Amino acid sequence: MNAVIGWLRQRLPGPRWLVIGVPFLWMLLFFAVPFAIALKISFSQALIAMPPYSPIVEWNDTALTLKLSFNNYLYLIRDNVYVSAYLSSLGIAVVSTAICLLIGYPMAYAIARMSPANRNICLMLVILPSWTSFLIRIYAWVGILKNNGLINNMLMGIGLIDEPLQILHTPLAVYVGIVYAYLPFMILPLYANLVKLDHRLLEAAYDLGAKPWQAFIKITLPLSRAGIIAGSMLVLIPVVGEFVIPEMLGGPDTLMIGKVLWGEFFNNRDWPVASAVAIVMLALLLIPIMIFHHHQSKELESKLS
Amino acid sequence: MSSEQQPSSAGSAAPRQEMLGAENYVQLVDIRKEYDGFVAVDEVNLAIRKGEIFALLGASGCGKSTLLRVLAGFEQPTRGEVKVDGQRMNGQPPYRRPINMMFQSYALFPHMSVEQNVAFGLKQDGMPAAQIKQKVDEMLGLVQMGAYAKRRPHQLSGGQQQRVALARSLAKGPKLLLLDEPMGALDKKLRSQMQLELVNIIERLGVTCAMVTHDQEEAMTMAHRIAIMDAGKIRQVGTPDEIYEQPNSRFTAGFIGQVNLFEGKIEDDEKDYISIRSPDLPAPLYVGHGVTGYEGMEVALAVRPEKILISKDEPEQPHNKAQGVIEEIAYLGSHSVYHVRLPSGKRVLANMTNVRRWASESFTWNDQAWLSWGDQSGVVLTS
Ligand SMILES: Nc1ncnc2c1ncn2[C@@H]1O[C@H](COP(=O)(O)OP(=O)(O)OP(=O)(O)O)[C@@H](O)[C@H]1O
Ligand SMILES: [Mg+2]
Repeated sequence: MNAVIGWLRQRLPGPRWLVIGVPFLWMLLFFAVPFAIALKISFSQALIAMPPYSPIVEWNDTALTLKLSFNNYLYLIRDNVYVSAYLSSLGIAVVSTAICLLIGYPMAYAIARMSPANRNICLMLVILPSWTSFLIRIYAWVGILKNNGLINNMLMGIGLIDEPLQILHTPLAVYVGIVYAYLPFMILPLYANLVKLDHRLLEAAYDLGAKPWQAFIKITLPLSRAGIIAGSMLVLIPVVGEFVIPEMLGGPDTLMIGKVLWGEFFNNRDWPVASAVAIVMLALLLIPIMIFHHHQSKELESKLS
Repeated sequence: MSSEQQPSSAGSAAPRQEMLGAENYVQLVDIRKEYDGFVAVDEVNLAIRKGEIFALLGASGCGKSTLLRVLAGFEQPTRGEVKVDGQRMNGQPPYRRPINMMFQSYALFPHMSVEQNVAFGLKQDGMPAAQIKQKVDEMLGLVQMGAYAKRRPHQLSGGQQQRVALARSLAKGPKLLLLDEPMGALDKKLRSQMQLELVNIIERLGVTCAMVTHDQEEAMTMAHRIAIMDAGKIRQVGTPDEIYEQPNSRFTAGFIGQVNLFEGKIEDDEKDYISIRSPDLPAPLYVGHGVTGYEGMEVALAVRPEKILISKDEPEQPHNKAQGVIEEIAYLGSHSVYHVRLPSGKRVLANMTNVRRWASESFTWNDQAWLSWGDQSGVVLTS
């Protein structure tokens, strides 16, 4: 270890090393290493043993054999459950990101336009719920949505319906839960972006003949693109792998990859398939993001040259 | 300061004034603007001629920007009327007014190229693409920014950004162009060059222009007429030389350039002259024209430093003279400013061009010197 640090020290100058090194180390410990382990397990085969999978590198007599099993991945493709779980997770994530954006944008816009005092109060209100445990907040929605819960009792109380509506354990409940839980992650980056918007740019647009809605489309919206992308990523990525919300609020027919992963790991104890599920999920998310990122930096370069 | 502030060649408004069109092309009638009870602008009446460059000049916070924003339509006046080319503008939002503004910070759209910035207003009007292209090229040519059409604002220098902002605000051919502190973001050298260029472009297009500045030199250089503002009110309107030579109050006299003010009472009020007795001076003040006043009226005589003559010997005239001690000499290249202390304690500034300074009598610190000026050199101020 000392040798490694010494080697790194030689390559990188001191203070810079700290600045780059800390997040680098963080990523290494909590992303790269677990990822490598999961990747390794995904290429092994399930065993009833401890650990419950076969090693991929073996030393037999005088031969070192590396045995990569693609069975788990083939299995994912062959079994319709996984493909449809991926698709429905992505679908749910995209739809709820869009809903978060539709609700979050006007809220972030309104907060950014407030006087500083009101602004702080509203930001506080956005952040405050996350001071309670995520689990408790989602559980609270069970109480609100269930058949003899808050909504149904209220609707029946005022005589609007005679029988309780089935909301809990439907896709609607999943969307409600996801949008509720992830809205702050959409609002905050959007707010941070919109609050920087120079009001004089809008005045300049009005001055040049743009009506307020035209100025919004042509100035505010494109200038808040970075906030829209950041907020959408912060919502989309965790929602794809979301487990708690579909488990507690969804029904048996809400298929999400997080639930499948949980089942493979804890119920079937099939670590290799569970790992393959996780790796594919990551790839599904990372590849489009990287393509997008690559595209954007290229665009930026071409603008600068 | 001082004589540099006199109208320079570009500010010699007299010949250019003849090219101007209709009076009252832009009209502000009794404008008042309040912000929650605070009066930012009050009792403003102005008429700007077609093709004129009109400057609002005043100290920080006097309400010049507010007045400009009322014209642009960003603020609705609490009272009063705005008219452009006979059309009432009140209640019209900015996007319906035939008025364009060049913002102090330029407010160029950062996500658009130079070209797109200039085209923005034209697109808003629904002009066909081919025509837009032609107009944008013409405008960028006018401000010599044709080579930069594809760049983004952040890739331009401050001066280049200003040119783009100007092109953008001129592209729609506004009836009135508003400039808010047009040189505010430029350094001093670029400033004086751009002042002349801006005037050239505006005059070439014949566009009527109202500008706001706190820099008197800039107002003098660029504008046909200037309005001096103070605490939300207009104190005087006139050509640069009128404002400098005939200030109407102690405020404007002191605001533009340097001035010596002799406070006193009218002693003799005749048809073609008056004399004033001032405690500052031993000799009476004599002014070679009548004023509307009365004997005993409190007035001030304003005399610019460059109108005061310094000499070793006592001048022959019986009035408009005083003797004092030279306390300070400021050498300013083309001329020097002498600070002379009179026996009454009054300090008087007098300029001497440096041609004269070297040619004849020279003075140094603590020398006794005589000051004198002609009977047409001062302006009598009653307010
Ligand atoms: N939106 C506003 N709300 C309240 N008061 C305002 C507002 N805008 C301006 N004021 C006040 O009105 C007065 C005039 O402001 P204005 O911006 O017109 O000054 P200015 O002459 O342009 O000054 P500067 O040279 O510093 O730009 C100031 O006292 C200012 O505080
Ligand atoms: Mg201002």
